[in-house]
Amino acid sequence: CVPGVRQAQWLTKTKLVEGLPPAVQAIVDNPALGLQELEERAKHVVSHARLWDTAEAAPRREKYCPVLFENLIHLCRSMSGKYPSLSKRMLARNCRIAATWERESILLQVRGLSGILMNSMTPIPPVASQEEILATKEHVLETFYPIAPTIDLQEVNVYKELNDTGQCFRDGYPYSHPHTLFFLESANARTDRFRPEQLRAKMLMFAFGNALAKAKALHGNDPKVLEQPVVVQSIGTDGQLFQFMVFQLNTTDLVSNDGVKNLVWIDSDQNLYERAQCVPEVKKRVVVKPAGISGFQPDTFKKFLALYLHGTV
Amino acid sequence: MASLRVRRLLGPGRRWFSETVPGAPSPPASPLYPPVVASITAKSKAAKSRRLQRFNQRVHAAATVEEKLRLYGKLQRPKYTVYPQTFALNADRWYRSFTKTVLVPGMPPRAAAAKRSVATAGATPEAGRAPEPAAVEAPAAVEAPGAAEAPGAAEAPGAAEAPGAAEASGAAKTSEPAAGAAPYLDIGELRSLACDALLQESFYQKKKRPFLYRDQDHTPGPFLTQLVSTLAASLSSRNPLLAACSLDLNPEVNYYWHHGEEVVVHGHRKGRVDPVRFQIDDNPHLQIRVPKQLPEVVPLESDLGDVPVIDHKPSKLPLFKKQYENKVFIGSKVADPCCYGHTQFHLLPDKLKRERFIRERLEDQIEVVYRSNGIASLFAWTAAQAMYQGFWSEADVTRPFVSQAVVTDGKYFAFFCYQLNTLALTAETIKNNPRKNICWGTDSKPLYDVVEDGNVKGFNDEVLLQLIRFLLNRPKEL
Repeated sequence: CVPGVRQAQWLTKTKLVEGLPPAVQAIVDNPALGLQELEERAKHVVSHARLWDTAEAAPRREKYCPVLFENLIHLCRSMSGKYPSLSKRMLARNCRIAATWERESILLQVRGLSGILMNSMTPIPPVASQEEILATKEHVLETFYPIAPTIDLQEVNVYKELNDTGQCFRDGYPYSHPHTLFFLESANARTDRFRPEQLRAKMLMFAFGNALAKAKALHGNDPKVLEQPVVVQSIGTDGQLFQFMVFQLNTTDLVSNDGVKNLVWIDSDQNLYERAQCVPEVKKRVVVKPAGISGFQPDTFKKFLALYLHGTV
Repeated sequence: MASLRVRRLLGPGRRWFSETVPGAPSPPASPLYPPVVASITAKSKAAKSRRLQRFNQRVHAAATVEEKLRLYGKLQRPKYTVYPQTFALNADRWYRSFTKTVLVPGMPPRAAAAKRSVATAGATPEAGRAPEPAAVEAPAAVEAPGAAEAPGAAEAPGAAEAPGAAEASGAAKTSEPAAGAAPYLDIGELRSLACDALLQESFYQKKKRPFLYRDQDHTPGPFLTQLVSTLAASLSSRNPLLAACSLDLNPEVNYYWHHGEEVVVHGHRKGRVDPVRFQIDDNPHLQIRVPKQLPEVVPLESDLGDVPVIDHKPSKLPLFKKQYENKVFIGSKVADPCCYGHTQFHLLPDKLKRERFIRERLEDQIEVVYRSNGIASLFAWTAAQAMYQGFWSEADVTRPFVSQAVVTDGKYFAFFCYQLNTLALTAETIKNNPRKNICWGTDSKPLYDVVEDGNVKGFNDEVLLQLIRFLLNRPKEL
């Protein structure tokens, strides 16, 4: 079976770059942000979500995944005392997104509930320089001959080409720029959850859908190379593993296979902590694993916060 | 010989006739017999009280708080489930009698100090006069001596004086607390945040039609979440307690207690005298928990009113009995450092909306709904917090526990502040207990009139100010 992200790359005419973009990495490494003090609170927040939140012995994933997300967002939001422009953000839950485009004479459409969307009044500045964007012209998209790239996609008769994030919000909405999408894989059974690879593909498709809809709203429906690329970020998690993604839409000319491509930076499979033990594990009257959170990785939280602050710092 | 055998027959304690006791017998070093106490297993009142004492000692001697809570709620018997959000008529009087609470209308006077510092922000010309020389301070101080200790008294001279003089002296007096607080509060910005949240949920975001009888989950619920999270984030720079708080969506709050006595009516235990057991299981919409306790509003032993006494059985309210797990829970486990409560937000369900009461011609019961929700939820929360600190009905609280709540149906907001002074509500402990719990509460006021065409009409700043005062509440050291 074709791995999900490579297929999504072909469908959205995107070039993949491993790791986070330098602008975001600079925020992570910036000591002036005071990320060290937040580490202690981040640990508490993880313990609260995974250990203390319920009257039963241990909370289930359906409970702890959204709670962890809410707590992390609350921590990030409390930075708005330091950076007042952070207050120009608004979370919207249960947004429906719909975007259509044509790819080598195949009409594609992305539709559905795109999780939780954070909107901002100001757009994120482009992450890649002009040279990098022009350099993508040389990049050749990976094809999967003889497998058609639209394998595993559902073919439907689309009678109305729906096309904007304005579908989710009316005109005049002050927080008009999509900033970050959050995907929570909170189903209890492992079979109902997306695997990390599939989750990354889903994140890419929805980020692309939001960016395309915003670009069409700003610059019209004609396919062209954008002077002001649209940047949309995306974070996906299942409560422990985090996937970070920054997507930059450089062109809406998606019919042909050459020319300027879009860019995506993916930082995958970042663990926030190793394990969360609710009750100490005891074998033969000796405590083998004590209760609590072990293996907390502050870097993952720093990246989460950096993606949140991106655009205002 | 014979006399020896006889003496042995008589036993060690007995005396023969000819033996004289030289004075009082020397008392034995330790008692010869164990103390004479009631039996443990007999069917008698003395045995019952001895069993109760043993249980109390077990709970007192528990090593950890979790063990104490486990022992406290170990015995399961049928108990009344008290619902904070109820349609029962005059439920707030009943709930006040169950929880020994006094209802004081209006907000506590301590909030007046914060109000003045916030009000001076709006009246910037007054603030310009604030750093005036001490000449203005001195007469103001003389007029209201000890204003710092009795903020309630400060209100009275402030109101009694002429308005102009009151403004100046009020502004001068608050130069100290206002200088301690951050630079003035931008009400306009907070108002725009609130309006944005309201407009997004009700106007801008396209949603499907609300599910049947789930109108509250469609707009007011998300609006309340957005409003509180954005306000808490923007006020966290002003209130360090908010910066360290834990914001929970849809937590669980439970409390179990005994109050009063009754005779068991039927069953194999018929005729025995049992305590009346109550349990509250509450799901507030939003909860803010902090690591430090809010300061007390009035001293522990204050008496601000009367507790209603109701002669009927609780089942007349109507309340129904059920037997299930006796839970005591504040929203997170004992290990959480954020173990004190700050503010809770409750959303009234569709069943209790105002139009229904007006249609059934029960307009006076609308406020009762808000009050009973405030009293019951806050009592459960503060009492559970006290139990997390190791207090219980036999070991009464040594400091008052204060928490706040906002009860709303999306448009109308009612504010409550609760001070828990006593946990001793069982039949034996309530006999010599003069302390009462106190609840301050306001009536419900609308935040806005109507939302039309992307505009919020008739926005009420008073309600927003009260909400901000609630969120800014913190201990005096911070």
